Amino acid sequence: LPAGGVSLRRCSTRAALEGINKPVVDRIIRVDHAGEYGASRIYAGQMAVLGRSSVGPIIQQMWNQEKDHLKKFNELMVAYRVRPTVLLPFWNVAGFVLGAGSALLGKKGAMACTVAVEESISDHYNSQIRTLMEEDPEKYKELLQVF
Amino acid sequence: VRCQLSPPQRPLQASAVLRRVSDEQKKEPLASSSQQHFDSHPTNHQPEQEPQGPRPSYTGQGGQESEDYESEEQLQHRILTAALEFVPEHGWTAEAIAEGAKTLGLSVAAAGMFHSDGSELILHFVSQCNTKLSELLEQEQKLVQLGKAEKKPTDQFLRDAVEARLRMLIPYIEKWPQALSILLLPHNIPSSLNLLTSMIDDIWHYAGDQSTDFNWYTRRAVLTGVYNTTELVMIQDSSPDFEDTWRFLENRVADAMNMGNTAHQVQSTGEAVVQGLMGAAVTVSNAETVRAVR
Repeated sequence: LPAGGVSLRRCSTRAALEGINKPVVDRIIRVDHAGEYGASRIYAGQMAVLGRSSVGPIIQQMWNQEKDHLKKFNELMVAYRVRPTVLLPFWNVAGFVLGAGSALLGKKGAMACTVAVEESISDHYNSQIRTLMEEDPEKYKELLQVF
Repeated sequence: VRCQLSPPQRPLQASAVLRRVSDEQKKEPLASSSQQHFDSHPTNHQPEQEPQGPRPSYTGQGGQESEDYESEEQLQHRILTAALEFVPEHGWTAEAIAEGAKTLGLSVAAAGMFHSDGSELILHFVSQCNTKLSELLEQEQKLVQLGKAEKKPTDQFLRDAVEARLRMLIPYIEKWPQALSILLLPHNIPSSLNLLTSMIDDIWHYAGDQSTDFNWYTRRAVLTGVYNTTELVMIQDSSPDFEDTWRFLENRVADAMNMGNTAHQVQSTGEAVVQGLMGAAVTVSNAETVRAVR
């Protein structure tokens, strides 16, 4: 990242932190970050097993999407000065094992796992959106756009 | 900070209260970290005696300073700030607080507002130092952004930040061991730990730490260790201008930097091992599949 980009981010930290409900935003970002991280690891596990099969490219594509989401949350985490969850090493292993395990059940198993994960993430994000909207749509405009 | 000179009796306008002051700060004045702000306007009826001792500085986030009357919390802050001047003589005690109250023209009974062990005085002082440190780091950052100063390498940045923070203890260094032991009392630990962790987090933030993985924790743990050990060395240091302490600090920070490299190596090795295991598992699984198809 160019130096200018980094310093802009630091300036925006102050602005981002003004007037928001910090504990709520903290929790939201931390949980979402952990979720995206776990999802990334799940796909990594699936790729490790099914990478060379016919569904390999599909899984790779979905994995790339998750990596993008994770990157976005990394940026948010720095901007809002949120600490990452202390359980990250656990999600690292658990996600990978879940991905690899479901992939060992075959392509259908892998897809079923993916669908289940995506559905629950979707529900989760919706309720977070609701929380932020209830409190104050204007304040959280930037955050809501991420969702 | 705007100066309000309206007479103290006028009731507070509701608009001032509706400013963005986060609720946590009102509820837990001592547990909040560098975002605490202080108001030292002499808004009471006494003749205009400026409180002596180190003046609190502001983070300027638009807090409570334009209220027409003083809240109890603000009054307590003023008394504690005034009391700091008497700490070298009386220690972190109710006597110091009583003397501080006297300089503000209040009765010594005002010291009764606080615990007798001087906890609030110490926590107030620590909080004040943290705020000063944050502002210092913020100023430095601005200078770098404006191109007026060079960006320091991480180890030097950490060294300078810790040194700046520890130097704030110098006027009180004789009585600091007493303060440390009080901060370790069970009922003070939540607050003192909170202040410590947010100070360390602040230093890393301004040092440019953007880690979002477990490094976030290791870095802060390591810096906390460096800070605490250096503090202890400083208490027993009798060298001129504490040069032994700063040398100790330099060595510890260098150790910390090396530790980062070692951790990285360990992680890479760990990753390589895991890759190997996964490869083996996949090979076995593929072999099984092939055998099954045949």
